[in-house]
Amino acid sequence: MASGELKGHFDVAVAKDLSGKESTSAVSTGDGDGIQITCFTEDLNDVTFHFQIIRLEKQIYAWIGCNSAKLGHLYAAAPTRPNNAVSVASILGGASDNTGSSIARRIVLKTGLNVILACNIPKNSPMLEADAERKLMEKLKELGYTRSRSQGSVLSNS
Amino acid sequence: MDHHSGRRFAVPHKKLSLDIKVMVTQIGSMGTILHAKKEEGVSIHPTFAVSVIFGKRDEPMLMACARQLIEHISNSGSSKPLVLSLGLKDHSLETLKGVASALIENRLW
Repeated sequence: MASGELKGHFDVAVAKDLSGKESTSAVSTGDGDGIQITCFTEDLNDVTFHFQIIRLEKQIYAWIGCNSAKLGHLYAAAPTRPNNAVSVASILGGASDNTGSSIARRIVLKTGLNVILACNIPKNSPMLEADAERKLMEKLKELGYTRSRSQGSVLSNS
Repeated sequence: MDHHSGRRFAVPHKKLSLDIKVMVTQIGSMGTILHAKKEEGVSIHPTFAVSVIFGKRDEPMLMACARQLIEHISNSGSSKPLVLSLGLKDHSLETLKGVASALIENRLW
């Protein structure tokens, strides 16, 4: 699916066209903190998923688009002390539809970072959710944002 | 001041009502997230609903920045809602004015 990676340094970074190419751009700020934006698209079973992952220093923002470029529901998730729990809150979008909240929760478990997830997968589609989550997790692993098991508990204080 | 914004592009072959998402960050995280939209109405002058959906709710300048942007979006002929995240080190008037004008200059709506 990926036809190449673009890496560039910008002060203003603009999300790339969702035309099937994968692109990653890095924005570096003056004090050495980088921001990485990764966009890619996957076609699975006649459904097109668009992904955008923005890696900030202390947070990950991810967007999953299912056939459209709408923002969808927005969830905030964070590790919660003292029990290695994860809290998820729906911050935009209807309360009766929590498609995507479990994805947000699992991203926190895998990465240990605060997560903001935007997801427009239609409700009552567990297969679509599972497919999207799988692709997203693969990419997070590939980008090195996840923690390996050998690093101990994801939510430890180290 | 370093800043960056992330946007959505319309999928070209479909007519969709999309959102505009803008992210401004200095602090390593998204900061406060605001939502702004134009309200349906019959009067000539549109009204807007601006709210903080995550983060600091006691900073009026953040709301003012979102309000200014949504009005600008509306004046450009678009009814798209805005999701704006501001992760700024200070919330003074000058900073927010600078942010708003930088975003309007670099706009894609």
